[in-house]
Amino acid sequence: MNNEPVDVLIIGAGASGAAIAWSLLETKMRILCLEQGTHLSDKDFPSRRNDYELSRYAEFSCDPNVRKLKQDYPINSNNSSITPVNWNGVGGSTINFLAHWPRMRPSDFRTKTLDGVGDDWPVDYYDLEPFYEMNDRNVGVSGLNGNPAYPEYTVPYPPIPIGILGQTLAKGFNKLGWHWWPSDVAIVSKDDNGRQKCVNAGTCDLGCAAGAKGGANFTYWPILENAGVELRTDSRVREIQVDKVSGLAKGVLYHGSDGQLHHQKAELIIMACNGVGTPRLLLNSKSDLFPDGLANNSGLVGKNLMFHPLTGVAGVFDKPMRGHEGPMACSILSQEFYESDSSRGFIRGYGLHSGRSTTPMTYALGGYGIDNPIPWGDEHREIMDNIYPYLAGLTIVTEDLPEEHNCVTLDDELKDSDGIPAPKITYKVSENTKAMIKHGEDRAAEVLLAAGAKKILSKNDDKVWWRAGWHQMGTCRMGHDPTKSVVNGWGRSHDVKNLFIVDGSIFVTAGAVNPTSTIQALALYIGDQIKKNIGTLFD
Amino acid sequence: MWSEIEKKILTEILDELIPANPAKKIPSAGQLGVASFIFEVASNSPKLQENIKLVLTWVISKADKISPHLVREIELIHPNAFGSLITETYKGYYSRPDIRKKLYLSEKAVHPFGYEVKSESDEYLKELTDAVRSRGTVYRDPTGGRR
Repeated sequence: MNNEPVDVLIIGAGASGAAIAWSLLETKMRILCLEQGTHLSDKDFPSRRNDYELSRYAEFSCDPNVRKLKQDYPINSNNSSITPVNWNGVGGSTINFLAHWPRMRPSDFRTKTLDGVGDDWPVDYYDLEPFYEMNDRNVGVSGLNGNPAYPEYTVPYPPIPIGILGQTLAKGFNKLGWHWWPSDVAIVSKDDNGRQKCVNAGTCDLGCAAGAKGGANFTYWPILENAGVELRTDSRVREIQVDKVSGLAKGVLYHGSDGQLHHQKAELIIMACNGVGTPRLLLNSKSDLFPDGLANNSGLVGKNLMFHPLTGVAGVFDKPMRGHEGPMACSILSQEFYESDSSRGFIRGYGLHSGRSTTPMTYALGGYGIDNPIPWGDEHREIMDNIYPYLAGLTIVTEDLPEEHNCVTLDDELKDSDGIPAPKITYKVSENTKAMIKHGEDRAAEVLLAAGAKKILSKNDDKVWWRAGWHQMGTCRMGHDPTKSVVNGWGRSHDVKNLFIVDGSIFVTAGAVNPTSTIQALALYIGDQIKKNIGTLFD
Repeated sequence: MWSEIEKKILTEILDELIPANPAKKIPSAGQLGVASFIFEVASNSPKLQENIKLVLTWVISKADKISPHLVREIELIHPNAFGSLITETYKGYYSRPDIRKKLYLSEKAVHPFGYEVKSESDEYLKELTDAVRSRGTVYRDPTGGRR
């Protein structure tokens, strides 16, 4: 294995690692990416098999504790009300994400100033706006222009169909005078650039075999590999090493595909392992200079973990909703209750996302939420024949606020297959979020009834969905003050000047939207800052 | 590995778990042969094998005839084993292309063909969204629209 020193070493080949590699291409620096997983070949996509649904509960589960593939690391979630889900491989979690693509909104970057909670970001919406646009073109985003929930921007492709389900719900929102809009999606609605347009298979979580979904495996990586970026798969980084004299990162120790431990030197190291993987690696990179973990002089590495706590409410209609047709989870989005309103009894807000229906097995095993099987016996027959086909649902996606006690630490006993300590999640849903969930459930029921639902199905408890920790944010937050943040306003570690972080861990607050669009825009922004500051990068 | 009586009893239990719908010509889980699926999965999963054995042994010792009441008893007395039986039953039943078709889904793999869904026309989308547009912006901009 060739371990010659490189200029830039990126750890992780997911959404953010791919985006920043693309941004840095023009520098002509030698770029290497180490990825613990591998490429998926065409035959590996379950949606090409007749029994595709079975893979959701086995090798294509979103939960690494269920998949237990070689590239996965276990996660101890025993002390958490939500368990993180992900994909480890080229493309990262964009392999099994649902490609819902809303941007964060201007107020999301100023929650402290506007609402007295969280913290303000060191960047704002307008700093990221050109990078949102750049990334939307690279990824292939479809949607309808003119959404009054955002400053004006242009979506590259026309919207995907919202379907009978989306049309029905839209009429309900209109009846109540509430905001809704066709969802922006990272899914191409037209054949383009070797990617087949969406065929409405409805199995986005099983990877998109058509390439319609803008996973980094189909968008950035073909360009990067053609341009000479070296992607070394089956390569799991164990720790980042620092030079005792300069205090700079000098390279990494990683377990290679040959099963051996290797040393890779680099001038610049960029972490792109997301909100659980990045703090895990930093905390495991202890040295005399950094006894509490690398880049952790603030003590905030791993702290302030934020998810988007979710729950769902469904309505039973009198005509089939055909919810299994079309991109899963992406039809329409209401942001009527997104901004703070003190009369509601909570701070900040949430979105109402129209998840389409799932396939029969997933519904039978997941029930009204996503975690509990529906009943057996005659009731089972009744539900599957007379309810399931007629369902349209709304998912309440709440903004989680940063709290230090919600955190990622290292487990004392649990380890991955290379003996690296597993992450341990400590997380509790806040009272603010519980109030938001309750408000959202009531509003969702209201709009479903307005849309014509004959019956409302709800979990009727204050529990959020367990296997729904897709969005992992805040564990290495950005900021100007080194005592209150891990990286500066352009992703550089306050403590280690040649170490950058570009993934969801640097989010200061979470917003109430799917974060990948912002993660990639932020990675492109940081890439741009690196290029602008290249002469004084390590000062 | 599995006796004929065990196969018969499991099939009868499966008929209770997912009954047939004769009006729609939808077979029950037992009629569909889901027992074979479960035995096959169990052959690679000692834990599932143990759970199925536990359930079947208890039923054989308890009664000659399977009824909803008896199945409810299994659920109460052996909740974990019953839970894994439910999971595998639902998996075995709904992974069948013929059952998917009965529930209006494609019986084949969803790629490459997927489903034909007609796009809404520009005019229709405009009509639907006119009311939303007419209410104006619904976001706060702390920068006062810096752009």
